[in-house]
Amino acid sequence: MKDKLMIIDPHVHMTSRTTDDYEAMAAAGIVAVIEPSFWLGQPRTQVGSFQDYYSSLVGWEPFRASQFGIKHYCTIGLNSKEANNEALAEQVIELLPLYFHKENVVAIGEIGYDDQTPAEDKYFRMQLDLARELNMTVQVHTPHRDKKAGTIKSMEVCLEHGLDPSNVIIDHNNEETVKEVLDRGFIAAFTIYPKTKMGNERMVEVVRKYGSKNIIVDSSADWGVSDPLAVPKTASLMLSRGISKEDVIKTCYQNALDAFGKNGKMKEEHWLGDKGIDQRELFNDNSVLRGQEPKIGGDSIV
Amino acid sequence: MSMENVSQELVKVLHHHMDANILQWMEEKIDAISSNRSSKDLYLTYSLMAAKINTVEAVNMPFGTNNVIQYLKAQNANLLQIGRVYLLIRVLEADEEFFFKKVENIIQVSDTGELVTFLKFLILMPNSGNYKNVAVEALRTNIATIFDAISLKNPYPSMFFNDQQWNQMYLKAAFMERDLSLIMDIDNRANKDLARIISDYAHERWAASRKVDPYFWRPVGKFLNEALLDDMKRLLQSGNEKENMVAALTCSISENPQAKELLDNCPDMKSKIESGLISWNNIK
Repeated sequence: MKDKLMIIDPHVHMTSRTTDDYEAMAAAGIVAVIEPSFWLGQPRTQVGSFQDYYSSLVGWEPFRASQFGIKHYCTIGLNSKEANNEALAEQVIELLPLYFHKENVVAIGEIGYDDQTPAEDKYFRMQLDLARELNMTVQVHTPHRDKKAGTIKSMEVCLEHGLDPSNVIIDHNNEETVKEVLDRGFIAAFTIYPKTKMGNERMVEVVRKYGSKNIIVDSSADWGVSDPLAVPKTASLMLSRGISKEDVIKTCYQNALDAFGKNGKMKEEHWLGDKGIDQRELFNDNSVLRGQEPKIGGDSIV
Repeated sequence: MSMENVSQELVKVLHHHMDANILQWMEEKIDAISSNRSSKDLYLTYSLMAAKINTVEAVNMPFGTNNVIQYLKAQNANLLQIGRVYLLIRVLEADEEFFFKKVENIIQVSDTGELVTFLKFLILMPNSGNYKNVAVEALRTNIATIFDAISLKNPYPSMFFNDQQWNQMYLKAAFMERDLSLIMDIDNRANKDLARIISDYAHERWAASRKVDPYFWRPVGKFLNEALLDDMKRLLQSGNEKENMVAALTCSISENPQAKELLDNCPDMKSKIESGLISWNNIK
C-alpha cells in the first residue's frame, strides 16, 4: 500500500492464527484487533473449557499480540452453535458476568443465531438482557443459512429487549441484508471472505452505494480458510477504485473504534502513544520468541 | 514485614482519594455481601469496580511509617487496585470460611491486570499463606508483568516459598533478565542448592559466550566450595570491575580459608568492603 493507513480488524480469531499472521498484519498497518469469543470447531463439553478460553482472551492472547505491536481486545459471549448444548449453556451463562468487565473486553459477542433453534433463541435473549443491564455493546453473528430472515429476526429481538440499535453491530452482512440493517439504525459489519460469500470487490461496491456511515469491514479470520489481511487489502482496493480516503478510514478504522470504544476499554491512545514494540521488555524464556533476537523500536517488526 | 489493620489503613487511602459516592456504594455492597453471604453480588461488585473507579489519577499516599501504606507506595498502587484488595479483604474478614473459595475463584478468572494486582498485594490478605499456589503458579508464566508482580519488590516469596520454589524464581528472574536487586531477602533465602545452580547456569552462559549479570552471584557467599572458588577466581581476573567487586564481596562473607586468602590478595577492595565503600548497592 502506497498510502499506509491505520487499520482496525474488529473481528478476527487470533487464537487460531500464527505469529507470521501477526507480523504481516502489523506490517500492513493493523494497529488493533478485536477477537470475538466463538466456536473452536471442536464442541466443548465442560464449562472449564469455556473458562480457560475466555481467560486466554483476556490474558495470553493480548500479551502475544503486544509482542507484535498490535493491541488486542475481545468480546465475550456464548456463541450460537454451542448454545444448543443447554446443560452446558446454563453454566456458561453464569460464568459470563465474571468476564464482562475485564480490561480488554469491549462488547458481548459474538452471539446470535446459527440454525435459529429455540435454545439459540433462549440464550441469545438472556445475553441481550445482560447487555441492557450492564449497558454493553453487542456484536451479533448472523446465520450463514437463511441469512436474510435470520438477520432481520436478530435485529427485532434486539429491539424487543430494549437495546439501542446504534450500540449493536450486526456482522456478516451482504448486499441482501445491508439496507435493512442500516435503515433500522444498526451498525453493519461485513466479513471479507477470500473465495466465497462477500469478496472485497463486492465490498467496494457496497461502500460506493451506501457510503461509509455505520459500515465496518472485518476479516473474521479463524481456523478455516480465511485471510487476516482482508481489511488492509480491502482498504487498498477501495482506494485504487476511487473510494475517498475519508470513507476508507471510516470503514476500516474509525467506525470500528467508535462502535467498540463506547465502554472506554479501547482507546486510540493505546496505539498512538506506543513507544514502538519492545519485545525485550516482554521477552522471556518460552515466550513467542524461539531464539530470535528481540526486536526493539520502529513501526515494523518484519 | 508485618501488616496490621490492613483494611483500616486501606480505607484511609480510599477516603482520601475516591469519589465519596463510589466509596459509599462499595461500603453498602460490602455490608450486603457479608450479611447475605452472596457470591453473585461479590462477583458483580468486584466486576463493576473496574467500570467505576478511575485508575488514571495518581494516588498520593498519606505520610507516615505504617507498613501497609509504605508497601502501597513501594508498589505504586492505583485506586482500582486498592479498592479491589479492600473489597476482598473486607469480605474475608466477615466470613473467611465462606468467602475464601469465592476469592480463589475471582483470582482464577483474572485478566492480566487483575492477576498483577493480586500477586502484588497477596501479602495484605488475611492468612496470605493460603494463596501460595497462586503465587507459585505465577512463576510459570511467560508474561513478564505477571512474573515481576510476584518476584520483584514483593516479600511474599521470601515469607512463603520453600527452597525449591525460591530457587526456581531466582533462576527464572535471571533467565528473564529482570533486575535481580529488586528481589527481596536474597541473603536470607540463599541456600546450597541455589549456589550450585548459579554456578551451573553461569558456566552454561559462558560456554555460549554470553554474559552473566554480576548481581546473580549474590546468594553464593556462604556456600563457596571448590567449584565456586574457581568461579570467584575467574571473576577476580575479569576485565569487568563489577565482577571483581562481586567476587570480593562474596569472599568477604565466606568462612572458607581459601576465600579469605583470595580476598587478602586484593587489599584495596578488602578495605573498601570493610569501610562500606563497596557493597551490593554498587553492583546494581
